[in-house]
Parts: sequence; structure tokens; C-alpha cells
Amino acid sequence: MIEVNSLKKIYEVKRREKFFFIKKEKIEAVKNISLRMEKGGIVGLLGINGAGKTTTIKMLTTLIEPTEGTYTFDGIDAIAHPDIVKRQINMIAGGERMIYWKLTAYENLWYYGQLYGIENNLLKKRIEELVKLVGLEGKADLPVETFSKGMKQRLQIARGMINDPKYIFLDEPTIGLDAIVTQELHKEIRRLAKEKEKGILLTSHYLSEVEELCDYIYLVNAGELVFEGTKKDLTDYVFSGNRYIFSVKGMDEAIVIKLRDYLRGIDFESEVEHLGGNAVISSKAELSSNIAAFAVDEGLVINELHKVEPSLEQAVIKLSQNIENKGIDIA
Amino acid sequence: MDLKVLRATIGKEFQIRLRAYPVDFMVGCILTSFYTVFGAWMMYHYFFRKRLATDFADLAGTSDYMSYAIVGSLVYLFVVRTCLNVSRRLITELREGTLESLMLAPFRRTSYFVGNMILQTIMTLGETVIAAIIGIFFGLRIHEFCLWKFITAVLLSLYGFFGLSLILGCVMIYARDTYVSQNTLFAAIFLVCGITFPKEYLPKILQMIGDIIPVTDSLTLIRSAFFGGLSTDRFIHIGIKVFIAGTVYVFTGLPLMKQLEKITLEKMEG
Repeated sequence: MIEVNSLKKIYEVKRREKFFFIKKEKIEAVKNISLRMEKGGIVGLLGINGAGKTTTIKMLTTLIEPTEGTYTFDGIDAIAHPDIVKRQINMIAGGERMIYWKLTAYENLWYYGQLYGIENNLLKKRIEELVKLVGLEGKADLPVETFSKGMKQRLQIARGMINDPKYIFLDEPTIGLDAIVTQELHKEIRRLAKEKEKGILLTSHYLSEVEELCDYIYLVNAGELVFEGTKKDLTDYVFSGNRYIFSVKGMDEAIVIKLRDYLRGIDFESEVEHLGGNAVISSKAELSSNIAAFAVDEGLVINELHKVEPSLEQAVIKLSQNIENKGIDIA
Repeated sequence: MDLKVLRATIGKEFQIRLRAYPVDFMVGCILTSFYTVFGAWMMYHYFFRKRLATDFADLAGTSDYMSYAIVGSLVYLFVVRTCLNVSRRLITELREGTLESLMLAPFRRTSYFVGNMILQTIMTLGETVIAAIIGIFFGLRIHEFCLWKFITAVLLSLYGFFGLSLILGCVMIYARDTYVSQNTLFAAIFLVCGITFPKEYLPKILQMIGDIIPVTDSLTLIRSAFFGGLSTDRFIHIGIKVFIAGTVYVFTGLPLMKQLEKITLEKMEG
């Protein structure tokens, strides 16, 4: 298990003032982050406004040292023994970095395999498997510079698994991939976690991806953890109530206003918005039967009435709006 | 030393060079040596009119100026090519976006740098041989060749140049610059290390700078292997100096490089 507590990273940045003078400034990129990753689990690390996600990943992958805090890796002090950690982790980043464009796909994987000290026969076998896994069969002997963006990304995924890591850090892994490859990768990520017992940490701008894959989510803002829990915990925390979609034949603003007045008689805090020809109702109370009764009383023909679970994206957007508008309690 | 990493690095770099650098790049490097030799030849024939200072033979260990200058320019070519490529490795990895993936792996940096040095040495040897053949047409003559001195001189020189490359690499990666740092060092080497004239003609302060750059003593050793003019005791004494200088550079350069890697990875973020 990976466990970090109160991780902090302060950078010293030099800023030029006038021509000759350089002023040193300290920037706290990560202020206080604690998280856990377990084998077989997929955790999401989401960020709002330059949150410090990449710095956190770099600390977890031992590329940089934290300024403060503790980091234990399967019971080992990871800060004191980065080489032990490095053998058992890997990182896959989005984009076309982290591979040599002048080498072929096979040569890339071979080189990285050698850096990890993998025995040659095992490495050959593993490269064959990985090339097949990422769908680069028949292309492994071509220089990477001739690859499309998606192919480069697939090769990067293979590179990230070359040392058969116990824990994998995925930093925007599906950027630039088409829908089919993305779906295959999602399947593979789930398989790695569930069948191969790998611990996975995922950051992504595609919140639907995080929603689909992650069992547990850490949400950071400006270097601080603002929420942790499951997707349901997060949506409950942000929306704290029920949401309904309601539409009737001939829906207009007058009906929405009437409905709002009606529902406020039952729950004073309920909200009704007119969005895309529907009424979107938020309330802490259970209002399905009341909404149906309103339609019957008004002689309206119901097109649609159902309760909706807010998506992770809606929850994160709402939470970031709350943070911007009034600040929020740190979970 | 991790031989797996060493071999893999040589293989990787060879493939990259093979695909990345056109033949005219190599021709360009040989031409640099040709121009240096040609410049020295022009000066010797048309400016000095073949007249040398009376103390030249004492200071240079030979009275054959053209051979002296040609060997100097061949070694200069060698230093520039090896130092340039070894020192630029990490900053190139940074620019090509592979530094992070490289640093994620738990490998020994020494093997990585030595692998780069070996490949570069092999490649540069080819260029140097071609440049030496050109040098023959300008008057390169070997007066008193000594094989053991030559081998010793080359091995010690490689060690010294490797150390120098590491320090230059540290400067490059700290400053995130290749052009200013490398060109400043190469200009200094050309001026103060006795490439085309004995450094003793220079002011004391410049001679002192020349003394701390291992190229100066390496060149003395290599010239003595071709032209004689240096007793065995003196050869060994200078050889030890090169070894000590190389050791200081290597053992300063490697840990410093490791520190700078961390700063670079942080700077990539900040």
C-alpha cells in the first residue's frame, strides 16, 4: 500500500527584478496532501485551478522529494529508499513525451527494459505481450517518428508497463486517443487493477473517465485536499439532496414558476430551474409524488419525470464554483 | 558499473545517431579540423614565414610546427566532439521529453554516461583518423612513435575529457543552455590549452587556467607519444596529473549531476 501523509512541496523560484536583480520566492505547490493507494484499487486525483496534481505525482514517483511529510511504500520509507520504489512503479503521461522518436517501438521498449535490469528472455516475451496489448503488432520495427499521435501514446502505455509495476501513475493517459483505443485502455486499466492487483492512480481532465474507472477520488485545489471519497460521497457532499428532471407537454416559464411556488410550499429550500425545455428540480426532500400531483392538479400531460444522479463532472464544477464564490470547508 | 545499461545506452545512442545525423554533419566536423589546420598552415607559411621563436622547440618538445599544430587540432576535434555530445546528453533528454521517463528508472548514471562516452569515442575516432589523413597533406609527420605512451595517453585523456564533459553537462543543465557554455569552454580550450602554440607564450593567469583543464596535459602526453621530447619520468608525472584532474572532475561531476537532475525535474514543474 502507498500511504502519504501531510505531503508538502515548496519550490524556490527566482524572479528577475530589473535587469541585474534576482528575487527568490518560495511557492507552496503542495500544501498538505494525504492519500492512500491500495493494490487492486483505482484512485482518481482531480484538481481545480493549478491544483498541484503533477507535483504530487512527481513526489509519489520519487522524481522529486517532498519538503515535508511522510511517504511509505509497502511499509518502506519511500523518501529514504527511492530506488526500491522506482523498481515497483511506473508512470504514463499523456502526450507524445517519454519515448525516443528516433528509435523503433521495439528499441524503445528494449532500452527501457534494460534500464530496469530485466532479464533479456523475459524482456523479449514481455515486449511481445505489450506490443500486442497496445495494438502495435506489425509496427514495432518502425521508428516512432513515423507514428501517429495515438500510436505514440499507445507505445508510452507499453513503456509504462515494461517493468510490470505494482503501482501505476497515469497522468492524463488518454489525451489524443480516439474513442475506440480509449475504451480499450479503460478496459485494460480495469483489468490491471482487478485481475493483476495493480494499484492505480489516475489524473484526467476527462471527468467521465475518472467517474468510469475510479473507486475513490481525491480532489485537490491550490495544493490542498478539498475532498476525498467515492463518487457518490462527492455528489452527496456537493448536492446534498435529490435532483429531478420534469417535463410536460407545452412546458413554459409560467409552468416552471407555478411549480416552484408549489414545491416551495413543501420544501422551502427547493430550487426549480428551466433548462432545455425541462424543469430541473433540486431538493433535500423526496418530491416525486408531489411533482406528479402538481401535474395532475394542473391537467398537464407528463412527458418525463425521473430522479437523476448528478455526474462527477457536475459535482466538480459545482464544487469549484463554491470554492471560487465563497470558499469551502476542507474535508 | 552496470554493463546492461552500458551496452543498452551504446546501442540506443548508435541507432539515434544513425537515424538522426546526416553524413554532412560528420563532414562538417572534419572540416572544422581542416580549417584549423589550414589556418595554422597559412600562418606558419605566410605570416611567420616558417620562422619560429628560438624557444619553440624547448617548449613544444619538437621543432616541427605543422605536426605540432596538426596533432593539437586533432585532439581539439576529439575533445569538442566527445565533450559536446556527452555533456549535452541530459539536456537533450530534457528537450526531447525523455528525461522524466529516464529518471523514473532505477539505473546507475555512471553506466549511462560512460556508455555515451564510449560510443562518442568510437565515432569520433573515425572522424579523427580521416582528419589525420588530411593532416598528412599539410605536413603531419610522426618522429618518434611510442605505443605504450600513446595508449596510456589516450586512456588518461579519455578519463580527463569524460570528467570535463560531466562538469560542462552540469553547467548546461543548470543554465539550460548549450551554446554559450559549450562555446565558451571550447574557445578557452583553443586559447589556453596549447592547441596550436605552447601555452607558455600566454600570460601567467591564462597558463593557470590552462593547467586546470585536463586537455593541456593530455595534449602534452599525446604529442610526446608521437614526437618524443619528454622523459619517461616526466611522462608519468604529467600522466598522474591528468589522472588526478580527471578524478576530481568525475567525482565532482557525477554527484553534482544527480543534484542538478532533481533541480531540473523541479524546474520542469515550477
